[in-house]
Amino acid sequence: MVGTPVLFIAIPLLAAFLIPLLGMIWKELVRIVPGLVLIYLLILAVNLLDHVMVHGPIIEIIAGWAPPIGINLVFSAFSGFLVTIMIFLGLLIWLYSYRFKKNVGYEPAKKYFLLLMMLITGSVGIVLTGDIFNMFVFIEITGISAYGLTAFYTGRDSAEASFKYLMLGSIASTFLLLAIMIIYSQLGTLNMADIANRIHTMNPTYKIISLIFFITALGIEAEIFPLNGWAPDAYSEAPGPVGAAFAGIVVKASVYAIIRYIFTIFDVDGAFNFLIIIGMLTLIIAEMAAIRQEKLKRMLAYSSIGQMGLVLVAFGFGTEEGVYAALFLMLNHAIIKSLLFFSGSYLVYNSKDKLIAEMNGLGKKLPITSFLFALGAFAIIGLPPFAGFWSKLSVLTAAADKNMIFIMSLILFVSLIELVYYLRVVNRLYNSKEKASSIEVKKPTANALITMLVLGGLILLIGFYPDVVTGVLHKASAALMDKSQYIHNVLSINQ
Amino acid sequence: MDNALFDLLDYAVYGTAILVMLIGIYGALAKKSLLKIVIGLSVSDSGLNMLIVAIGYLKGGTAPIFSPGYLDGTNKLMVDPVPQALVLTAIVIGFGVTAVALALVIRLYRHHGTLNIDEIKNLKW
Repeated sequence: MVGTPVLFIAIPLLAAFLIPLLGMIWKELVRIVPGLVLIYLLILAVNLLDHVMVHGPIIEIIAGWAPPIGINLVFSAFSGFLVTIMIFLGLLIWLYSYRFKKNVGYEPAKKYFLLLMMLITGSVGIVLTGDIFNMFVFIEITGISAYGLTAFYTGRDSAEASFKYLMLGSIASTFLLLAIMIIYSQLGTLNMADIANRIHTMNPTYKIISLIFFITALGIEAEIFPLNGWAPDAYSEAPGPVGAAFAGIVVKASVYAIIRYIFTIFDVDGAFNFLIIIGMLTLIIAEMAAIRQEKLKRMLAYSSIGQMGLVLVAFGFGTEEGVYAALFLMLNHAIIKSLLFFSGSYLVYNSKDKLIAEMNGLGKKLPITSFLFALGAFAIIGLPPFAGFWSKLSVLTAAADKNMIFIMSLILFVSLIELVYYLRVVNRLYNSKEKASSIEVKKPTANALITMLVLGGLILLIGFYPDVVTGVLHKASAALMDKSQYIHNVLSINQ
Repeated sequence: MDNALFDLLDYAVYGTAILVMLIGIYGALAKKSLLKIVIGLSVSDSGLNMLIVAIGYLKGGTAPIFSPGYLDGTNKLMVDPVPQALVLTAIVIGFGVTAVALALVIRLYRHHGTLNIDEIKNLKW
């Protein structure tokens, strides 16, 4: 072992606050240090995940108070898998944005990397913690840094998008705290395993009320319809890599929180069916909205919301196959949507309104970027040789196992809509009949190109050899499903 | 004094806290001025904090430290310290969110020259 789970929170948090000080020594350090930290954390995450696969979950007690009194961190196959994806994506976002814009000076870069580190700390904390109030604190850390990152560009309408996000996020945090206090007033504990152990003694009325508050609050962060009004604006006004961070890191953490509450903590019948219904609604409405969008990033944002809906549907099956499919989708969504945001940012780099209509003929001017965008588009639709195919297939087989033919047909129908609006963009890139766009293109920087090529390579790798990830995914889904083992592991640990 | 009145007062604390929360949420959702929205969010936070402290209160309990009454055995009751610790954290978080919100309000005012949200709609609200 090279370290313990608490380092995932302590090191990036420390680095975030040291960045301004390090910048006084040498200005380039504000760009270098986050990368070093993320590389170290990635090595740590892969090592710990490897250890967890064989030896079972690592449970770490903070400050010497054993659960249920103190706060504990749980690094299981499930949470460890999500942490590894998040850190990996964080590293790629760092690499991509290392010199995203030449004109971004020292001051903005300092703030950008500080907030990015805080965002990663918060999201990783949400996934690792075993205490509901601690999770609330991490959700707020993530939220505040996300508001800051949304408002990063001063020239655009970013402050408006950020304020909208902040307003909803603030109401969400009020609801979340209320839900936590309802549980605390009934059970007198904040530890997740302890709550899960004693939830059946709780008055059903209070149980349902607090579950509703939890889902409303977390649904705002996880972009569930109809609580996702902030998402398209935040994605389109924030810098491109931040869009990837929202889709790949923040939303994943919020979905994790919903899943942890429904699968482990609450034992409410019907919560799974509720997930399927709300997921289906989110999926269908988001894809319908995506097809109407004229701006590239708004389209990607709605597509991202739709994907999260599909993830919730897959979790809602409540079977191990369903969880497996959902985790596979989350992994694919993280790499494919990031590739789309990364390459899409360069395709509309100099255009003022970021319209899809302005992308005519870019396939010739920016061959590699356009090719990678097309690759990502095909992968997210779920065409066979790419990564997205396997995850969509596993969702459909999980639905077939539950005899949900109607859900299957709806998912296939929505895939068709997806196909239409992604092909519309790809067609513009390569169609030579239309007048080529007169907007001057911006060639991607070397590090951005490397990032996109890595992601493209991963999509092909998982597409051709899905076996590289399926083993981890099976272990991770088994870890989530085994609720009594989770409770036992946490509560039996003693200092 | 009558005991029933004391019971009523116990519930009145919860009622007041929830009322303050609802007033805050109403302000945040119904008002047009950005500043009033921020104030509304802040008020609803305060109401929630009152509610949390009220949940941890025990009638006749002392502060959850080794106070004189507790040490000499005249008063064995303590209020629950956990909600108070949570409220301290929640207050700090609320302060941070309010600060960010006000910074955004300043940016919006400079950009649009108004605080009325009906006039700030370059994005679809």
